[in-house]
Amino acid sequence: MSILAIDQLYKRYGRIEAVNKLSLQIERGMVYGLLGPNGSGKTTTLGIIMGILSPNSGTYEWFDGKYGNNPRRHIGTLLETPNFYPYLDAIDNLQLIAHIRKVKHPNLGEVLDLVNLSHRKHSRFKTYSLGMKQRLAIAAAMLGDPEVLIFDEPTNGLDPQGIAEVRETIQQIAQSGKTILMASHILDEVERICSHVAIMKNGKLLATGSVGAILSQDPMIEMACDDNKALATLLQSQHMVTKIEEKPNTLLVHFKEAIPPSLINELAFKNQLTLHYLAAKKRSLEAEFLEITQNPKTPKLLNS
Amino acid sequence: MLHLLQLEWLKWRRHRAFQIFMVAYAILLPAGLLLGKQLPDLPDPIGTTEVLFIFPTVWQYLSFVGNWVSFFLFGFLSIVMVTSEYSFKTVRQNIMTGLTRKQFLLGKIYLFGLLALLATLYYTVVALGIGYFHTDVIRWGKVWQNASYIPRYFLLCFGYMSFGLLVGFLVRRTGLALFLYFAYATIGELILRWGIHFQLIQNKTIHYYPIKSFSDLSPLPFQNLAEEFMRKEGFPLFLGQTEVFIVAIIYIALMIFLVFRRFLKVDL
Repeated sequence: MSILAIDQLYKRYGRIEAVNKLSLQIERGMVYGLLGPNGSGKTTTLGIIMGILSPNSGTYEWFDGKYGNNPRRHIGTLLETPNFYPYLDAIDNLQLIAHIRKVKHPNLGEVLDLVNLSHRKHSRFKTYSLGMKQRLAIAAAMLGDPEVLIFDEPTNGLDPQGIAEVRETIQQIAQSGKTILMASHILDEVERICSHVAIMKNGKLLATGSVGAILSQDPMIEMACDDNKALATLLQSQHMVTKIEEKPNTLLVHFKEAIPPSLINELAFKNQLTLHYLAAKKRSLEAEFLEITQNPKTPKLLNS
Repeated sequence: MLHLLQLEWLKWRRHRAFQIFMVAYAILLPAGLLLGKQLPDLPDPIGTTEVLFIFPTVWQYLSFVGNWVSFFLFGFLSIVMVTSEYSFKTVRQNIMTGLTRKQFLLGKIYLFGLLALLATLYYTVVALGIGYFHTDVIRWGKVWQNASYIPRYFLLCFGYMSFGLLVGFLVRRTGLALFLYFAYATIGELILRWGIHFQLIQNKTIHYYPIKSFSDLSPLPFQNLAEEFMRKEGFPLFLGQTEVFIVAIIYIALMIFLVFRRFLKVDL
């Protein structure tokens, strides 16, 4: 079943095109990362699909239209900053959210345990630290067991411990089989948590696909010896090699398919080159991300 | 409707300004009138201060006090209840959590309607109470003679809150909204009416303004002033009995309509 279908969404602020003809399809059970630098249109996109911003054109549909024009009660959302009534405590704030969602017997204790806030449930929201506020927002999103969760930069502004806690919480939720849509500019976060990723820049979709598909580029081995030039010449004659990138002190060699590094070592040694560095590399999402966002004219991997 | 009112109750029951203003209203409304006991005898044609407290004139004088109290307290409160949803960003959160925009607005309108109703109920009880203890001979015909002040009082409260609703949703910032509310009501509209409108057209259309219509629901109890104005200008100082109902209701409807038109579309 389709959870969310976005079709040609377009939104602009004056001359700035915040979201430019964005189309996206999210299926049940996906953990979808919306990745892009700051100002790439991630939050605007989420704002539109959550009904707080109106698009200039384009459409979106939640749950195949199952819940009519108000599907948001079935979606847990944390957009940008946590927004609560500062003079109310955690319980009152959560009860208010449960009331809007029409949750009959809200699982308040359960969600507060999940985000580790039970000991502060009777403190007013304004007395919370930023990390606690963020965790309360996650608890609020989880109330009533919604089918989909949306997190926008969930670790923004948190200290290292807070980041770890929030990530762990989201990973737990993801493992429970919920559909998650998460916007982030932190690649590592997306790489760890998400199953699928869409990369945005300047409001445009540059690439989408499973994290695996975007990651499964040529296998690479990074190596170095005393004479890197000779090594490069040697490798260029090998049919397995597709590309050699010369780095300051090392060579990054791309292969058609994965080969054991020991073969390289053997080959080099036979040719009187002694390697002092040899490491198999996985192309990281970070590298992919930089490459894609810096060359917006080559939208490869679309729907791969 | 009940669901939305319950939601507003969850939002505001622990809000300090809300609590203080409710208590303040409960105290100021009777206290404002009873201050009249400190006054020396009034100038002609009123004479003694007794008229302030006896049936049927107690309705009129109490609503005159209530006019001022409501203008400040309920106007202020309605603005704060709208703009703090913006400053806490809870308006966004409410919508994202699952309220429709229409529900969000209706919640506020129902809330203000209920507050106006409660305020009116309290006004009625206080008027009956004060009247009962100050009128020597209670005759039911006299007691209810000015009872039309009850629906007027409701419209007056709801009118100020509708104006607060409009200003709050248009301006979004608490301080600026409060300033504009008070500045328009105290000076702005007077300039519009007397400074501009009256210079162009000298007839009763200078009264067809929102704040004027709300406050005319409870006109100044100075009859001689009104008569003198009538003699000089050739048209009355206050809107007529039925007229004032119509004008006030039209303005309330217009304000609510404008808020709907804006809020249903605007980016939050």
